[in-house]
Amino acid sequence: MWLMALFTFREAWRKKVVLVTGGLTLAFLILYGTGLHFASRNMLSIADPPASFFEMMQTITISVMGIYLAGFLVAGLAILASVGSIAGEVESGTLHAVAARPLSRRDLLLGKFLGGAAMLVTYATLLFLSLAGLTYWQTGLVLPGLAPALGLFALKPLVLLSVAMLGTTRLATMSNGVLAFGLYALAMVGGMMEQIGALIRSASAVYAGVVTSLILPTDAVYRRLVATVVDRIPPVNGPDFPVLDPQMTLGPFGSQSTPSDWMLVYTLAYVVVLLAAAVYTFQRRDI
Amino acid sequence: MAIVEIRDLTKVYGRQVACREICLSVQEGQIFGLLGPNGAGKSTLVKMLVGLVHPTAGAAEVAGYAPQDIRGRRQVGFLPENFRFHGWLKGEELVAFHARLAGLDGRTAGRRAHEVLERVGLAGEGRKLVANYSKGMQQRLGLAAALVGDPRVVFLDEPTSGLDPLGRRQVREILLAIKEAGKTIFLNSHLLSEVEQVCDGVAIINRGTVVAAGRLDELQAGRGTVTIRLDGLTGELATGLRQHYPDLQWEGDRISLAVGGRERVADLVTRLVAGGCRVYEVTPGRSSLEDIFVYLVREGESACG
Repeated sequence: MWLMALFTFREAWRKKVVLVTGGLTLAFLILYGTGLHFASRNMLSIADPPASFFEMMQTITISVMGIYLAGFLVAGLAILASVGSIAGEVESGTLHAVAARPLSRRDLLLGKFLGGAAMLVTYATLLFLSLAGLTYWQTGLVLPGLAPALGLFALKPLVLLSVAMLGTTRLATMSNGVLAFGLYALAMVGGMMEQIGALIRSASAVYAGVVTSLILPTDAVYRRLVATVVDRIPPVNGPDFPVLDPQMTLGPFGSQSTPSDWMLVYTLAYVVVLLAAAVYTFQRRDI
Repeated sequence: MAIVEIRDLTKVYGRQVACREICLSVQEGQIFGLLGPNGAGKSTLVKMLVGLVHPTAGAAEVAGYAPQDIRGRRQVGFLPENFRFHGWLKGEELVAFHARLAGLDGRTAGRRAHEVLERVGLAGEGRKLVANYSKGMQQRLGLAAALVGDPRVVFLDEPTSGLDPLGRRQVREILLAIKEAGKTIFLNSHLLSEVEQVCDGVAIINRGTVVAAGRLDELQAGRGTVTIRLDGLTGELATGLRQHYPDLQWEGDRISLAVGGRERVADLVTRLVAGGCRVYEVTPGRSSLEDIFVYLVREGESACG
């Protein structure tokens, strides 16, 4: 299993996946940093003396937007790197010689998952820390709840990876890619609906969002991440805006309806169950 | 001792039967050829034997274990048909990776990789990317990967497809060297001349069913012809003989006909002598594997309508 994991990690490195993704990420970070620079140019220092609530939220909003967009990059990499990891290799004929070796199908699949997960977690960590670093550099704000937020940011691609791993044991590469991106888009739209529903007090919209999060909990992980950051913002001094909820300023990108701890447990169980299903399906598949 | 034992192995895809109740036995140390036209079920059978395809019914044992058993797979090498290898690896990395998968430790894997690359004539090419290998080099690389775990039995699915005559000869020499080392080779091929040159035993498969199997010389002798030089054959005797041997050809002092086995040749000579002929020479002729193959496949086609 570890041999397969190492092989998968090396494959991503050698196929220049890292180089291409790194180039795109650099371009994204430059754009984000530039935007952050101009947006924060007129801000007062946030750390000392204490900033106004608006200035603080302006920085948080830009950071959250950055995290939201960076989530696309990580999700794209997670899906593209894994949709063909079994089906693609069966189609191209590279899997036959490997699968006939004294290596169980379970170890083969889990090895591929672990290799992909190692790559994605490394990438997500570097990207998240780069975003946080840029925010600190330009605004002086240390992102609240940095460590748990980083953990949640790294969890999201693992959810997508498990979906793609299950799909690739049954579906052709193209179909699996369409399915994974489709589910991701569904979860995203559902999440937006849920937040808007919470803002306008529509229980049906919130319910629809919860259901899509149960189908694919990527958006729920993002919302929890936002809550982890925003809920740690220090209380506002003075009676400037006593009725304003920090989450409200983020609109549909915020976390008005915050997923519970049970949703996180569900997400972890989701990954485990999907991987178990992937192993079960792969073990019964003719290659 | 049988190293591959197949009992009633059947594979059905939906309504299509790929293999039907196949029974075969391959002795250790043999080169065994599996022949058949395209779509006959050869690759499906091999895939069932290396654990890639699950049989619908029946069972098989390879090196004493079921094909799905990891312990058995340690003793198996496999070169798939139309295989492709990971082009981003160097040749020696790929072979070493397969050695690691076969259970060798890192250092031994590197050493074995060099040994087998040398054995297949790729000693100086190991540091090239697989993507830059020619078709022939890739085929030999595939052989190296199949052999790197020092398997007792090697399944080779069309190992010479796409090779030029020189490449085919090289592969044949490698196969014979593997046999010399006491290994068993299960060769799946549609190149009859190749099978005829290297195989000890063969099975012919058509429409998923084994239509003939056995030692190559037995198959050839069993469906051979015989030419007899004689004196004293009369028209009346020839007519009588044609009732038993309808394809008897008579030309001057020679008759020739197809016979099935040594006993039938002896019977024929007895009849000729009893009819007053003097028999000077009995020359058995051997059908080529191609003759047998074409005959059996056509017979199967006509039987199926």
